[in-house]
Amino acid sequence: MADAWIEGRPAAMDAAVAEAAKLLAASRLPVVAGLGTDVAGARAAVALAQRIGGVVDHMHAGAVLRELDVVRTAGLIVTTPSEAALRADTLLLVGPGLAAAWPEIAHALLGRAPDRRWVAGRRRVHWVCPGAPASSLGAEVVSIERVGTDPTHLKAVLGALRARIAGRPCGRTALSPQALEDLAAALTAARFGVAVWANAALDALAIEMLGGIINDLNATTRFCGLPLGPSDNAQGVLQVCGWMSGFPMRTSFARGVAEHDPWRFDARRLIDSGESECVLWISAYRAAQPDWERDVPMIALTVPDAGFRRPPRVRITVGRPGVDHDGIECSLARGALCAVAATRKSPALSVAQAIARITSALGSGEAAAQRTASC
Amino acid sequence: MLTCIRGGRVVDPVNGRDGIADIWIRDARIIAPPAAGSRADATYDATGKIVMAGAIDIHSHIAGANVNAARLLLPELHAVEAHASGPTFSAFETGRRYALMGFTTVVEPAISPEQAIQAQLELADVPVIDKGILAILGNDDFLLNLIHSKQGANAVSDYVAWTIEATRALGIKVINAGGAAAFKANARAFAFDDVVPFYGASSREIVKALQHGVHHAGVPHPLHVHCNNLGLPGNVDTALATIAAAEDLPLHLAHLQFYGYGTAGPRGFSSEAARLAEAVNGAKHVTIDVGQVMFGQTVTVSSDVLRQFNGRSAAHPRKWLIVDGDANGGGIVPYRYRATNFVNVVQWAVGLELFLLIEDPNKVLFTTDHPNGAPFTAYPELFALLMDREHRAETIADLPADAIAMSTLAAIGREYSLAEIATMTRAAPARLLGLADRGHLGAGALADVAVYADDRDRAAMFRAAALVFKDGELVVRDGQVTRYRWGRALSVRAPHATAIERRMRDYYAERYGIGPEAVRVSASLIDRPDPFEDVPCRT
Repeated sequence: MADAWIEGRPAAMDAAVAEAAKLLAASRLPVVAGLGTDVAGARAAVALAQRIGGVVDHMHAGAVLRELDVVRTAGLIVTTPSEAALRADTLLLVGPGLAAAWPEIAHALLGRAPDRRWVAGRRRVHWVCPGAPASSLGAEVVSIERVGTDPTHLKAVLGALRARIAGRPCGRTALSPQALEDLAAALTAARFGVAVWANAALDALAIEMLGGIINDLNATTRFCGLPLGPSDNAQGVLQVCGWMSGFPMRTSFARGVAEHDPWRFDARRLIDSGESECVLWISAYRAAQPDWERDVPMIALTVPDAGFRRPPRVRITVGRPGVDHDGIECSLARGALCAVAATRKSPALSVAQAIARITSALGSGEAAAQRTASC
Repeated sequence: MLTCIRGGRVVDPVNGRDGIADIWIRDARIIAPPAAGSRADATYDATGKIVMAGAIDIHSHIAGANVNAARLLLPELHAVEAHASGPTFSAFETGRRYALMGFTTVVEPAISPEQAIQAQLELADVPVIDKGILAILGNDDFLLNLIHSKQGANAVSDYVAWTIEATRALGIKVINAGGAAAFKANARAFAFDDVVPFYGASSREIVKALQHGVHHAGVPHPLHVHCNNLGLPGNVDTALATIAAAEDLPLHLAHLQFYGYGTAGPRGFSSEAARLAEAVNGAKHVTIDVGQVMFGQTVTVSSDVLRQFNGRSAAHPRKWLIVDGDANGGGIVPYRYRATNFVNVVQWAVGLELFLLIEDPNKVLFTTDHPNGAPFTAYPELFALLMDREHRAETIADLPADAIAMSTLAAIGREYSLAEIATMTRAAPARLLGLADRGHLGAGALADVAVYADDRDRAAMFRAAALVFKDGELVVRDGQVTRYRWGRALSVRAPHATAIERRMRDYYAERYGIGPEAVRVSASLIDRPDPFEDVPCRT
């Protein structure tokens, strides 16, 4: 099977690389999007964007920035997965999407016995607003005290909960006053509590309210958040963007310096508005599809089974990090950038290798190459 | 390649030189002047200029998850003009700015072992300069268990050596020993003789165990200590107790300024720097760095999670991130030091007193604890304050007199000489880190050289070097980086018993579900040729 295509037809890799470089060099505002890749791929992608004066965005930037916006406007106390599993005597699960964000949540957190030095009795697990059966967490191994409510009422419930924890009155919510009282009392009685939520499933106001609950609880006891980030190494790519540009994703290098704006540099907006007319789409973990409507010339670095509405102008097959090649990515188990070894090494190009070839095909002559970071 | 830096005033205290001389470089090393009539491939005229070894910063938070979180937390600090603001530089800008000031080696002093891969990746993206990390121990479950179960000095020293090897570190730092672990059990304050709940080890025992462990492992850099009670009024007693606890083994106390506080005066906040300086002067095995405060906006980035948690109410702008990590965790709290704020002015005075009252510049190292006291870009102004008493007096005159009166600063007339500056910023840090071929300009030294215009305005002089050479290569000319290259990360290879390998594998698998190989740093993870330089152990 071919590993490179031009206009949907199999092509030699060199020809595909040359065509990709030509498209990027000709673009006024190329967007490097998707960014589902390991650390090496992300570093190469950001360096390429710096060089060609483009924009970097990640397919899950919305969920990443939702949590980050709470931190960078208010504040948040967080902990790591292992501290949550070993130390927490109380877990507050919030909202849907937990197992999707952390497929191992059942045995890595919920079913794991805490350290007996810190947690003497039974760990209490509360789940506010499940919107799904408990079995979806694979959680039959533990008893979960479900506080059922309609997901759309979550923010009001969290607001009322915060009020009751602080001893303030609150109005009626979807939760019964008694259930609310019981939950507020349970959280206040925690010795080391952890609230767990999926950033992709909550909006910024809900996350900010949770951050406030956690902060208030720390007036008398210890409580932390464990926000679960989206997939496709979004948290790892966030870190790379941070140290390379000083900013998160949705950052532009078009004016010669890094500029960050979550709205202006949203890849979907740039493309649907016509501001950008060329995309480098990267999806090395799975066959993710772009979410914009407009057809623009696209260079796709994807896993083999990707299908597109229209064939990309150039398509190059890349390997999966941790499957086809070794890599570094944000580990859900450690909450840190960790090395992952290939499970079945293959000769497929990594994203970093593919971008290196495109970058070298850009040559050194064009004006856009004058970025300082080209060293 | 033979290079000659001709006719400058060579200030090289390690080799007892302060006078006009030529510096000869062959490739990456400094050589003795060749026979008369030798022709250099490149000659640089340094007439009227000052020639020193490249400067070394032993304590500057420039990489790792906490530093990166500070970048992400504060986009507005560099939103106006990209990279314009000090506290949150990108990796690239960090290297550029350091190089412009003639710094050629910088140590990131606070990396949790599980974050070492990220830190080393970030440092690999810092251009021009060399760098290294200190790995954090002292609040981690494994060490606390070793101490609790009294497994002895060899067990601790093997664990220290294993950690240094796994993280490719230059040394070990302990941060509020036991304080972060106690905070998880809801402690809100933690002193030197307090005991960590569940583990039964005191802060003192942790510091002593690590001090011995680092020494016995043969690591050149002594244990690097961030004491308990940072920032609190009256915390001078904590620092004095820690200094006394050094006994007859080396110990380095970081950012001592933050521990120079008494409770005297109408506001219950005063300088105790004079007492502290006296203790340092009398402690043969103790070195310190200052952590000078300079006025302006910055961000505090610290793995002292307890301190950052308590300090979050003073955040400016009002936002923060607190991380209860696997061991230390940390906190990011933006802060603005104000020249009109009583406490901030006392802090500023305490730092300068420590610089000026500690007699031996080998014992007092030059830091602002970047970015905690000030961004490293404030160094030039700090050099000026130390070297020019008139400038200092003018600055003091503009500050609130009631705050200045809480210190002895106004009465101190000392001025640092160029030789003392060279000792403090070159010779002393090289010696303290065990880097025999750095910090001086003798034959055989690495050719890291900074050449400055001899400007009476010392801030202007140190802000932009006239010439900087890294490994013998010209990298800065007239305040501009002219050549970008990738430096190396310095790391110690300390021998350890093989049993610790198996033990750590089992511990990681049981505790984290993935083995230590997931967090172990290796050259193959870093996409640069020869990313590491080995630093030999003490013999």
